[in-house]
Order: sequence, then structure tokens, then C-alpha cells
Amino acid sequence: MARVTLENIRKSFGNVEVIRDVSLDIDRGEFMVFVGPSGCGKSTMLRLISGLEDVTGGTIRIGGRDVTGVAPSRRRLAMVFQSYALFPHLDVAGNIGFGLSLARTPAGEIERRVRDVAERLGIADLLTRMPRQLSGGERQRVAIGRAIIRDPEVFLFDEPLSNLDAALRVRMRLEIARLHKALDGVTMIYVTHDQTEAMTLADRIAVINQGRIEQVGSPMELYHHPANTFVAGFIGAPAMNFLDGNVDDTGAVTFAGTTIMPAQPVSHRGSATIGVRPESLRLASTGEADFVARLDHIEPLGAETLLHFDTPLTVRLNEEVPASEGDTLGLVVDRTRIHVFPP
Amino acid sequence: MERENRFWRVVLLFLPLSVFAVFVVWPLFSSFWYSFTDWNGFDPNYAFVGLDNYARIWTDRLFFGAIINTALWMAAAILLPTLLGLALALLLDRQLRGARIFKTIFYLPICLSAIVVGQIWTWIYQPDWGLLNAIISFVAGEPFTHAWLARPGSALWSVIVAWSWQQTGLSMVIYLAGLTAIPSDLLEVCDIEGASPWQRIRRVVVPLLIPSTIVVIALSVINSLKGFDILYIMTGGGPFHSSDTLAMHMYNESFKKYLMGYGSAISVVLFLIALVIIGFYFRQLKRIDEIYG
Repeated sequence: MARVTLENIRKSFGNVEVIRDVSLDIDRGEFMVFVGPSGCGKSTMLRLISGLEDVTGGTIRIGGRDVTGVAPSRRRLAMVFQSYALFPHLDVAGNIGFGLSLARTPAGEIERRVRDVAERLGIADLLTRMPRQLSGGERQRVAIGRAIIRDPEVFLFDEPLSNLDAALRVRMRLEIARLHKALDGVTMIYVTHDQTEAMTLADRIAVINQGRIEQVGSPMELYHHPANTFVAGFIGAPAMNFLDGNVDDTGAVTFAGTTIMPAQPVSHRGSATIGVRPESLRLASTGEADFVARLDHIEPLGAETLLHFDTPLTVRLNEEVPASEGDTLGLVVDRTRIHVFPP
Repeated sequence: MERENRFWRVVLLFLPLSVFAVFVVWPLFSSFWYSFTDWNGFDPNYAFVGLDNYARIWTDRLFFGAIINTALWMAAAILLPTLLGLALALLLDRQLRGARIFKTIFYLPICLSAIVVGQIWTWIYQPDWGLLNAIISFVAGEPFTHAWLARPGSALWSVIVAWSWQQTGLSMVIYLAGLTAIPSDLLEVCDIEGASPWQRIRRVVVPLLIPSTIVVIALSVINSLKGFDILYIMTGGGPFHSSDTLAMHMYNESFKKYLMGYGSAISVVLFLIALVIIGFYFRQLKRIDEIYG
């Protein structure tokens, strides 16, 4: 139940600056997701918050308290690692109760609290098993159990689902979302490179690129109103289509050989990158096409179909398409969903 | 193709297997055979004496002295290099200035032969002009100097110190490799959970070093069982058999008293002891493998 505040955080390893003047407020009880490509600095940010890395500059506050130079164990937070970080020589109960036993908590209380947490996570029958005897999902639950038992104010998750297979990842994602609801008021900071995880879990997402926060906002805000081409390209799968274009004095947008007046007024004038999401394009009926393109490849995914054109453009349709690769098709752009990014 | 591979496998293995058979397997079985005879090592005429040599072991006072010394030698030769190697590895694993130089210095003795180590330490222990007595004399006075290798009470322990000095570097290197293999996030869990440095070592690092410890102990056991040369050069089993180990006793009976049959019986007992220890070691290894993978 703590607010986390980062003020002008910088971090360098030698001469390499990996976090560049980052400021961010994370509300108490909020589920904040740091998302970005590999090497963007998102895990480093989490490690700075945890205290496992020292900041080069700036201040970190948890619950209003300056914890910048404070040891990780005194920050009242818990962390779940990508590798689960379970001790191979301790059984499940030993792993969950590790922190309590370090604090010399009476054995009876440790046993009671471990059982309580294990029951909440549905792993009460695994308490005597060794980590090696557990599946990926079970190990993940044990790692979460070890975090929960400390009753932290802030939960840190460092790509906790990366080592799981696709089906289990979906299930565990749901469980983490449920856990956040169950642990009412606990602040969660979650690092992932998977934008689907970010979109489905987050109250707010911070998109990070090259050590800087590109944009912070709710998932839908980032999806519909990306601040720049990086955010627009990173959020959403398949990625947004980008085309070179131009905005004339009347606000009309020219791209792919067509000129369209967007539904929302555009303030920028001159050359620009025009962004259109795959679902903001549809196949044209006779005579209404904004432009035509040659169909390169069809990806039927069952519930939807992806069409890849030579422009290059990707179109997402919720239906099967009576067309073949090599056909030239007319496309219509949704006027309300045209994004203009200044160069 | 498979046939050709098999042919070359046989051809290439022939020489090393022949050497192994002639110098290891054949002497091993010969020892078993000679242990049931009264062979003196030279005479082609010798008699089968059944279990007489083994019966004689039970009445041999020196044999039991050698058993006790071997147990002491093995216990110390296992414990001291293991504990010292672990302590040095924990100290030098940090990013300390000069750690690399110290690692090299501590490792160097293992590169020396036991004969050289034995000779160096014999000089150090030399009662009149040895380094140890010189230091003791300078710090505490001449009455406190000691004839380290000439007194029954200190001879074996003096060799154990020399042995540990040589072997500690090897344990240290194995533990350093083990420390490198500990996943950093497990140590980070300790930081987050608030483990003190001692709790971190006792509750996490040492248990995670068990696979390394198994290797260190196995090497120590094997090396200590083989540890004949350093004893031979430093004390020769004396004074008054106070540093006689089984290997030394076997050597004395076989090659000084020319009781090759009896010496072979002692070597068979030594072999059986080694077999029990190695059997125990493999059982532990399997158990550890089940936990740590």
C-alpha cells in the first residue's frame, strides 16, 4: 500500500548510461507495467527500485520515504524473478518460509503462515516437494508465495512468465491479475517485453526505450493515442502500419497515393509518418477504395485473417477472405483511426 | 561405416588399454594372489599360505597404529584443505584489489611435486636453522623451538600442515568455480529477504556449494590415500612409526623387510577401505545429483 516515486533517476555502468533521467509516479495499489524491447533498461529500472542496483543519480521514494540508499530488505518490497530463483536445496515450505526463518520467526508461526499462503496459491499439497520436482507453473507459484508471505507494500515482477510455455503463460497471467485484486491495495510493478502481457495486466503502462520513458498511460490510451512511432509500433500486434506521407494546409493527409481528411483535426503540417493499425483498414467494395495494393500473403488465424500487402501493409479482418495471393485489392482507411507522427 | 568406426575404436583403444591392463589391472590381481602366499619378492619358489597373512594383520601392533594414523591423516587431509579452500574462495570471490594475485599465489603449490613440497617443508621444520624455529625463537625465545619432524607427537601433524599447504589451492580453485556457478538471483533473494552475511553463507552459499564440496572431498580422499611420497620424504613413517600410514607400512613390509605376501595383504585391506569410501561417495553423489540436477 505504497506509492512509488522515481525522481530524475539515472544509472550508468561505466561510461554507458542505461537509465536517463527517468521520473515516474506509481500510485498505491496500481499495477504498473514497464514494457520495452530487450536491453531498453526496464529490468534495470526494477532493480533500481528494489535496491539490487544503486542509482547513479536521482531519488527513489516508497510510501513517501526516501529509500535511495536503503538496503533492499528495508524497502518493504518483494520480488519475483524471471528464473523463479528457488533454492534447490530447500523444499517448497523452506522456500516460501525462507525470509521468515531468516528473521528467526518461531517455527510454529512459519508453518502456519506458509500453509496459509500455500492454500491461497493452491500448492498446499506440494509443501514437501523439492523445486526440481515441480512444473514451471508450480515453481512460479512458489516464487509468488515467497513474495506474498513477507506481506510487502510493493511487488516487483521481473519477466515472471518468460520461461513458461504459451498456454501456461495465459493461465498464469490471469492468476497474477487475480492476485492483484486479492491483495487489495498492493502496488505491483511488472517488467515484460511482451506487449500482450502489458495490455492485459496493467492499470498503466510505461513504454521504455533506450533508458527513457517514451510514454506512460493506460493500455487503451497507449493503443489509441501513441505519442510517437516507437510506442505505436511496440503496442499492438500485429504492429501498426507506417507509411511516408504529408499533411497539407487544410489538414488532409496524403499517403499511399491517396488523400484523406481524418475525422480528428491534425495540428501538424508538412511531411509526416502516417500510422494505420491493421484493423483500421478493410477491403473496399466497388468504387470506394482509397487505394489499391497487391496481396502478398494470407495468414488465416481462425478467428481472424491477416493480409500482408506489398505496400507494405498488414490488414486484420475478422472474416475469411475470398481472395488469393497476387490479387490486387482495394482498401479503405477508417478516418477516425489515422495517426500522424511528425518526423 | 559403423563397422569401420568400430574397427578404429578398437585400434585406437588397444594401446592405452594394454598399458592400463599391464600396469594397473595385472598388478591389482597379482596383489590379491600374492596376499595368499609367502613370496619375498625375489624367490620364484613360494608357497600358498591361505589366509595366514590376513590373520597376521590382527596381531600386528604396527598395522593398527598405521590404521589410526591413516584415519587421522585422511580426516585432516580432507578437512583442512576443504575448510581452508572454502574460506579462501569466499574471501577472494569478491572484487577485492589484488585478489587475482592471491589466487595465483595460493594455487601455485599444487603445481609442485610432493617431493619438492616435502623438501621445502623439511627445511622449514629443520630444528637448528629452519624458518619456523627461527620465527618462534625470534618471537617467543629459543626454549619454545621444537624438533617438529623428530618428535612422535608432532611428526604426523607437521606433515599434515605441509600437505594442506599444497592441497588448499586446489580446493580453493574448485570452490571459486562453484561460487561462479551460483545463480546471482539466488544471492539477490538473500538481499531482498534481509539475510546477514553469515546467514547468506550458511543458509545459501555453503548448501549450494555441496556439488563442489563433493568434488573437493573426493579429490582429497583420493590424494590422501595416494599420499605416500610426502610422508616418505619428510618422515619415512618415523620417528618410531609415529607417522606410519597404511601405505607407508605396506611399503616398509614389502620393500624393506621383503615380506611381499604380507605387504600385498595390507595393500588389499587398503584397497577395500578405498572401495568402501568410494562406494559411499558415489551414493552421496547420486543423492546430490537428485537435488541439484
